[in-house]
Amino acid sequence: MSLRRPLATAALLTLALTGLVACGDDNGDGGGAASGGGDNTPLTIATQNFPEANLVGSLYDVLLSAKGYDVDLKAVDTRDAYLSTFPGDVDVVPEYLGAFGEALNAAANGEGAAPVATNDSEATLAAVEPLAKDKGITLLDLSEANSQNAFFVTQEQADGGLSTLSDLTGQSVVLAGSPDCKGRSDCEGGLTGTYGIDISEILPLGFASPETYAAVKDGEAQLGLTGTIDPNLDDEGLVLLDDDKGIQPAQNYVPAVSSEFLAAHGDIEQPLNDLMAALDNDTVNELLGRVTLDREKPEDVARDFLESEGLI
Amino acid sequence: MTLLAGSAVVADLAAREPKCYSKDVNDWFCLDYVRDRSDEIQQATTTHLQITVTAVLLGLALAFPLALLARRLPRLEALVLGLSTFVYTIPSLALLPLLVPLTGLTKTTVVIGLGLYCLTILVRAMLDGLRSVPDEVRESATGMGFGRTRLLLRVELPLALPVLMAGLRVATVSTVALTTIGTVVSEGGLGKLIADGKSTEFNAELMTGAVLCVLLALVLDVVLVLAQRGLTPWTRRVRTA
Amino acid sequence: MSDVFSYLFDSASWSGPGGLSEQLVQQLLLSVTALVAALAVGLPIALWLGHLGRFGFLAINVSNIGRAVPTFALLALLARFSWPGSGEFGPYGRAGLATLVALLFFALPPIITQAYVGMREVPADIREAARGMGMSGPQQFWRVELPLALPLVLSGARLALVQVWATATIAALVGGPGLGNVIRLGFANVDRRSEGIAGALLVAAVALVLELLAASAQRAADPVPRDPGRRGGRDLSPIASTVAPAAATDS
Repeated sequence: MSLRRPLATAALLTLALTGLVACGDDNGDGGGAASGGGDNTPLTIATQNFPEANLVGSLYDVLLSAKGYDVDLKAVDTRDAYLSTFPGDVDVVPEYLGAFGEALNAAANGEGAAPVATNDSEATLAAVEPLAKDKGITLLDLSEANSQNAFFVTQEQADGGLSTLSDLTGQSVVLAGSPDCKGRSDCEGGLTGTYGIDISEILPLGFASPETYAAVKDGEAQLGLTGTIDPNLDDEGLVLLDDDKGIQPAQNYVPAVSSEFLAAHGDIEQPLNDLMAALDNDTVNELLGRVTLDREKPEDVARDFLESEGLI
Repeated sequence: MTLLAGSAVVADLAAREPKCYSKDVNDWFCLDYVRDRSDEIQQATTTHLQITVTAVLLGLALAFPLALLARRLPRLEALVLGLSTFVYTIPSLALLPLLVPLTGLTKTTVVIGLGLYCLTILVRAMLDGLRSVPDEVRESATGMGFGRTRLLLRVELPLALPVLMAGLRVATVSTVALTTIGTVVSEGGLGKLIADGKSTEFNAELMTGAVLCVLLALVLDVVLVLAQRGLTPWTRRVRTA
Repeated sequence: MSDVFSYLFDSASWSGPGGLSEQLVQQLLLSVTALVAALAVGLPIALWLGHLGRFGFLAINVSNIGRAVPTFALLALLARFSWPGSGEFGPYGRAGLATLVALLFFALPPIITQAYVGMREVPADIREAARGMGMSGPQQFWRVELPLALPLVLSGARLALVQVWATATIAALVGGPGLGNVIRLGFANVDRRSEGIAGALLVAAVALVLELLAASAQRAADPVPRDPGRRGGRDLSPIASTVAPAAATDS
């Protein structure tokens, strides 16, 4: 009898909540006046959720939005998350050549497959392209920007005569880096095997993480793992060692595009190739510094850069 | 060319007062941050709210038949409870990517994952709620000629509401926290601020994300308490305890 | 899937530094320590408030809202502060203290709510009788209330144990130990995915084992004579009877 009111309340509440959920499903795209031939075609970009990838994702986002596409930029934690839906729901991915190649390789040939990437960019591209094609993915132009793993030391160590990894041959060092470093040919495996460095311990502090910088600065580790593009190094007073024997596979930026999407919307190819041509490690390093050190928004930095380069 | 641009940036920076969220200051609480990034923060909060609420509704919708099933067939009860606990222990990094081929990099993926995670709380709450209905009440309702469905809808569910709502409150508040794992598939709401704040040592961003989670939970909890009062007017006098 | 099992059943995966057995033991150590610390902090508060019969509403609501703080955010915050910070902490590894504190906070809500509700569910007439027999406050608490509240107190601890175990994988996010490392690595490297799945399976399996162990410990420690119908209900009521004690005690 007195149940009518409660039931009505429940019904109202449910309605209110579903209304709340249904409304406002907008995506914060890069915006900008549509000038190109995109005609508001929806376009989904997936990227990984770390500062450098976010910045490059924003460059793609702002660029393609300006060409008239309705861009949805999705930043996921690991490549694994978008690989199963690209191509498909995802149309464009700002990729790293070697890492993407190995991911496709593992998907096609199983986890133990022989690596396809080498330190030679063109050779790696030639090896990766067929794998990508089989999946319905087209790789556009390689950029000169090449974001490889790299190892750093303190300024004092560098002043003491260290400039290349070969300078460490025969020495025993503690390495601070990501926990998966052990045994990898582009990490501990290559340092011991190719360079003959004795890695006495790996501190699993993460790739280019604040903890890793601190460990090297405090002398807890003598070598730290980061990438060739890392604006924090200057800021922290740390110096990269040259990979003079080339253990790092090529990780050039490369736009990976769904072949089907590209066939229908060929006008995205040229702008993306132009963007790749405008980037190199120094440029990205500086742009990234504006995001991670000065804390500007990636979209703002991307728009500034694209405008100054005349790309939008 | 890059050198020139670089020095321009430096000069520009020196001219400005450092904001409280600049890397050198890096305050934990910083209004400038909230002001400058208000769009982003608002959007993250809205997404967070949408995901949490939908996930709990989905969890309720799934828990209801499961609890009824477990009650009807007591032998299944341990299985249902065991399964819902097992789901809870699957790490999000493993669960969410598994759903991507089905539902893509969308809020739906996160909602399904979270809906499953809150089953462990909701199924138990529903069972406990139904169990809290005194047998005498059930018997007298049956004696009055109530059928099974009518008994459930008109007598058992209303009487189970207090316990059920208690479980719902726990599930909702916990889901607010869990929603942040959606970053795995790009839809983490405030989790994006938290993850980004962690990886770039952005204190204000990290703190703002965490504080907003608590505020959101408070608001939802108050809404649920009010809803419970509206739904169960007969329990109100008990509140004096 | 066959890769997953061949990894799990390969003794090389288990041995050595960074192997599965080491990570598993480290995660167990983290979880148990955090649980013990949470019991040491939460039980006195909850039992005392339950004994007084006051302020419980506040305590329970505060600890309930505490569930809204994402444990990862709390951990990241704590690791950034100068204390507890991100330094080595004995066998708990890097940021060990921050991880323990974060897990402690995570374990508090179920412990506090269950213990408080358990105390409030002691029937009023039994309390009266104890007082009538001339028992002092502490006597009432130790001889009457606590033994009767024990099943719910234990169910709170059991619930917290499983949740803390499953959540302790986040230690890996701040450079700490545990199976979280295996899971993260596996999912961050497409060519090692089976290791990630294996790690996840292992976490879930251990959670089930812990749940079963805790359940039998709970049964063994429960001094109240069996009454299947009622006990079943109590056994399963860890979360539900919680937030609104008024509602629960009323029923």
